Amino acid sequence: MKFIHSADWQLGKPFGRFDPDIRAALSEARFDAIDAMGRAAAEHGAAHVVVAGDVFDTEGPEDRTIVQALSRMERHACRWWLLPGNHDFARNGGLWDRVRARAGSRIVVLTEPEPVEMEEGVWLLPAPLTYRHHLDDPTHQFDSMETPGARLRIGLAHGSIRDFGSRGETNNQIAADRARRSGLDYLALGDWHGVLRVDDRTWYAGTPEADRFQRDDPGSVLLVDVAEGAGPLVTPIRTGRFQWLMRDWTVNDVAAFDADCAALLGDIDAPNTLLQLLLAGITDLTDRVAILGKAEHDLCHRLRFLDLRADDLVGRPDDDDLAALAAEGTPGIAAEKLSALIRAGGPDALIARRALERLLIEYSREEQI
Amino acid sequence: MSLRICRMTATGFRKFREPVSIDGLTGGLNIIIEPNETGKSTLLEALRAAFFVRHGTKNQLTRSYAPHGDLVAPQILVDFEVDGASWSVTKRFLKSMSVEVSGPDGRAQGEDAEKRLHDLLGSVKDTSSKGDLSNQGALGLLWVGQAEALSVTAPGQIVRDTVRSILEAEVGAIMGGPGYRRVRDRIEEQYGVYWTQTGQRRGRLTEAQKAVEVAEGEAEEAGKRLAALEGNFRDLEDARTRLKLAEREIADEADIQARKALEAELEVARSAAQILTTRRAEKEAANGVAKALEDLQGRHRRALEARDAAGRALAKARERRAVVAADPGRAQEKVRQTREALERARVAQRDARVALDDGQKLQQLLRRRAAVAAARLRYAELGRLETQYRDAGAVSGSLIAPEHMASLEKHERKVAEARARMSVGTAVIVLSGDVSGVTVDGLPMAAGEHSVTQDVTIRVGGAEFLVRPPASVASAELELADAQRKRDLALETFGVASLAEARLRNEAAREAAAERRTLAARIDAVTPADDAIGLAAGSQALRLFVRELAEDDPQEEVAPPDIAALSRTLEEAENVFGPADGAYNSAMEAQRRLETDNIPLAAAEAGAESDLSHAEAQRAEIENLPEFADLDVSLTEARKRAAEAAVKLEEAMRNATAHDPVAIARRMTGIDDRMRLAGETCRKLETQIAHLRGTIESEGGKGLAERDAAAREAADAAREAFRRVTDEAETIRLLRNTLDEARAETSARFAGPVARRVKSYVDRLMPGCDLTFSEDLGLEGVIRGGLNEECTSLSKGTQEQLAVLTRIAFADILLEQGLPVSLILDDPLVYSDDVRLELLIDVICDAAKRMQVILLTCRDRAFRHVPGNRVCFEWSQKHEDKHTQY
Repeated sequence: MKFIHSADWQLGKPFGRFDPDIRAALSEARFDAIDAMGRAAAEHGAAHVVVAGDVFDTEGPEDRTIVQALSRMERHACRWWLLPGNHDFARNGGLWDRVRARAGSRIVVLTEPEPVEMEEGVWLLPAPLTYRHHLDDPTHQFDSMETPGARLRIGLAHGSIRDFGSRGETNNQIAADRARRSGLDYLALGDWHGVLRVDDRTWYAGTPEADRFQRDDPGSVLLVDVAEGAGPLVTPIRTGRFQWLMRDWTVNDVAAFDADCAALLGDIDAPNTLLQLLLAGITDLTDRVAILGKAEHDLCHRLRFLDLRADDLVGRPDDDDLAALAAEGTPGIAAEKLSALIRAGGPDALIARRALERLLIEYSREEQI
Repeated sequence: MSLRICRMTATGFRKFREPVSIDGLTGGLNIIIEPNETGKSTLLEALRAAFFVRHGTKNQLTRSYAPHGDLVAPQILVDFEVDGASWSVTKRFLKSMSVEVSGPDGRAQGEDAEKRLHDLLGSVKDTSSKGDLSNQGALGLLWVGQAEALSVTAPGQIVRDTVRSILEAEVGAIMGGPGYRRVRDRIEEQYGVYWTQTGQRRGRLTEAQKAVEVAEGEAEEAGKRLAALEGNFRDLEDARTRLKLAEREIADEADIQARKALEAELEVARSAAQILTTRRAEKEAANGVAKALEDLQGRHRRALEARDAAGRALAKARERRAVVAADPGRAQEKVRQTREALERARVAQRDARVALDDGQKLQQLLRRRAAVAAARLRYAELGRLETQYRDAGAVSGSLIAPEHMASLEKHERKVAEARARMSVGTAVIVLSGDVSGVTVDGLPMAAGEHSVTQDVTIRVGGAEFLVRPPASVASAELELADAQRKRDLALETFGVASLAEARLRNEAAREAAAERRTLAARIDAVTPADDAIGLAAGSQALRLFVRELAEDDPQEEVAPPDIAALSRTLEEAENVFGPADGAYNSAMEAQRRLETDNIPLAAAEAGAESDLSHAEAQRAEIENLPEFADLDVSLTEARKRAAEAAVKLEEAMRNATAHDPVAIARRMTGIDDRMRLAGETCRKLETQIAHLRGTIESEGGKGLAERDAAAREAADAAREAFRRVTDEAETIRLLRNTLDEARAETSARFAGPVARRVKSYVDRLMPGCDLTFSEDLGLEGVIRGGLNEECTSLSKGTQEQLAVLTRIAFADILLEQGLPVSLILDDPLVYSDDVRLELLIDVICDAAKRMQVILLTCRDRAFRHVPGNRVCFEWSQKHEDKHTQY
């Protein structure tokens, strides 16, 4: 039996830090991922898509978000099994009542921890979250769930197998051996936004469309082929449009920056790439100005989005720079004063460095004119 | 490079309505001495206009060029040399405006000509409306108008920059030049985007800040709304939980069972209470029977005791009474005898009193009769007296009052007096003899004496005598007549004929009055009061009494009673009555005492008899009762039954206490209340849940969580943007401030060489002093003997001298650079003392060796001795004529 395992759609995520056009594209891509999943299901002969929580980014999304999601799902022939996660937990009168009121027959909302027979002999054991944070294991009821005549038992849950946050939070923590303990043939998990194999029967599907700078992989879903008595066959399928890359370059001159740029652009689909670029290194001021100029006036425009952090790219004015300024008299004295501030360190040093840089930029601009 | 103004002609320019020229100016010192009002200052203005004021300008300044009230076009022509090359400039203002410059490179007109002048003289285009000297370059500083040098001022930007560029090599620093200025302008422009000139935030910075505030406000609002919704969810969940609890409570089997058990228990308790009531009644009944029998027994015993006691009391009472009742008969007899004696004495006394009364009454009657008779007699007497009294009254009433008498006498006296007066003047004719034929006034005249009081014609025969008495006689006669008339009138009033009669009448009246008084006393005497007949004193009372009396009825004669005998008889009777009464009272007293002693004894006896019979009757009654027969047996029986009933009651009470129906009912009510409350809670909660669901349904559909997330992220983004903008603004500000500091520092370096040059001149004026200059090369002050004095605190004369000297120093510096320099001083050194004036003149003469100096002054004497080229204004013919007329 084949089905698609997905999770963490985070529909309605606001992306508030982005400009409106990028924000619109990112939001739209999340809805497009539903279509991608529907097509993948059809392509691979999967009749079901199980979604392991966090379908919506919040428990109170806009009506448009709900209607978009449902209408996208309804365009495809498969059945959609939606589990409330910590972002969209189930509660009386809440989000899922609104979804249910609009959902068609192919969309099943699993707000109760009761087994459902997906097709004959195939039981789905859901562990919906009814609060944002559960202190106990939401899947512990799997042990006691009756699945008469089951040939396959598939668990569906949302939470952490281990402490992903490394901050000691233990909310919604799921026993790592839940699949074995509860006799599951497959445990479809959500919450972790990347694909993660916990054991051969326990997988995180990750988000179908990446939503933050965290890992380079674009979003994907898992095609799960599970048969009675045999381990599941799990295949990731890319569904994500945008790639969120993080790069950390150490450049000491323009040439090094150019080389890194060329290498990166060769690898990626630039218009669908968001890049968080951390520049570090020590260059002369001219190079720093040139590097930043290239990043801001070229790389930035090639990519969908560039988050450039160049505070660690230290530009030291070289003797030529300073000599050129000194020849101008007053600007030279100003440059010397700023250099002294930079050397003195402290909170003003950063501003002084920027000011010196600006002085050079403005000065060289005039020279060019 | 030297600049020499050679010749200038101004036409229609301010004071110069007609063309005025100066000519023959040399490259050294030129002195123009002209009186006030001649146009020296106009000359300087004309030079400035020719070189620096744009010909096409129509502003306040150029309009002021036209002579007052004239509409001519001011025109100026200047010939000059720069570094030996000849130049000329011609400018017309306001009408047919034009400029033409000719020089070694040929002619130029219009803007081109203006530009050539600027290039040549280092000035810049001036757009100010009143002319700005700082735009006129070096000559702006060196051409000093009247009073312009009275305070020390800093040179303008152009001069400063020029001086600095000259000094750059000397001080080893560069002031920045155009590259610096452009950087600075750019930064200034960017600074303006974020900050005001006073360093307040503005523009992009405040916009970003506002954006943060707005975004945070929206995020807060969204957060609040979401929190409200979450609150509703919490309330809903809470309400549901409570509803479940309440429902569970209602459905609680334990309560239902407990209530059933309580009902059964209540039933038992009620039976026990019933039994208790019965037992209590039974016990009371048994006790009642026993008590009744005990009562009966007691009553019987008490009846027997009473009977015995009464018997004893009766015997004792009878015994004592027998003693008392021995002699009541004696006392009664005594009472009877004394009573009879008393009765007799009382009758005798009454008879005596009646007889006395009758006697007294008769005596009274007799007295009255006598009094009435006396009264009748007095009445008759009274009538007579009263008649006399009235008569006397009539006489006495005719008395003429003394004042009237006096009046009568006065009249009488007046008549007598009038008569006397008449008799004095009256002629008396005594006729005697044959008197016939003698007539008087036609009437025969009798013999005798005739008094003539008026004209009388006496005819004797044919002869007539007119006797005319003196005139006074007539009036005396009239007076007499008048007096007589008045007297007669008075006499008539009192009804008398004469005064004598009046006097007689008064005499009679007085006697009558005395008579009346006598009569009144007699009337009083006959009308005394008489108590016997109730008659008051006075004639009136007597008259009234007599009139009311009936006619005299005949009365039989009665012998007067013997009152004394009657009184004696009564006295004797009373003497008998007193002792009789005392005896009777004494007898009565004795009898009453006897009776008093007997009463209690009789009562005691009667009481004892009654008690005895009552006790006897009771005993008989009790003994006749049927239960009396076997009283002892039945009493024992009754007591036994009472004891049994008490035991049963005790048991029933124990049973009843074990099942307290009140407590059970209370517990049942408790259960019922709990159920009812749970029911009510359920209903309330259901309503609340419905309400909350409604709210959540309407609010939840608005996507508040998504909006909240979006708003929070937007606020984060705004804060981030604000941080970036702030960083940028801070960077720009730091850069700008640093540039300013750098510039100030550099400027300060240039002050040194300037100071050194100025000092070489000032030393001559104030030996040993030091000078301080500001960044903008303005002289700030002098240091003399270690004391710093600000320029503004120096005297006007010193300030002017310093201003002239610094200008000469600047002119030297500029000259070194090869700039075209000339010095014009309009009426300088007005406040200088002679010594300093000479000193300054020396310095000026010295400077004139290096540059052209034009000195305009009205003080001929002060400058007469100064060697130099004397130049005069050259007026046109017309003006000359006018001028010589003065």
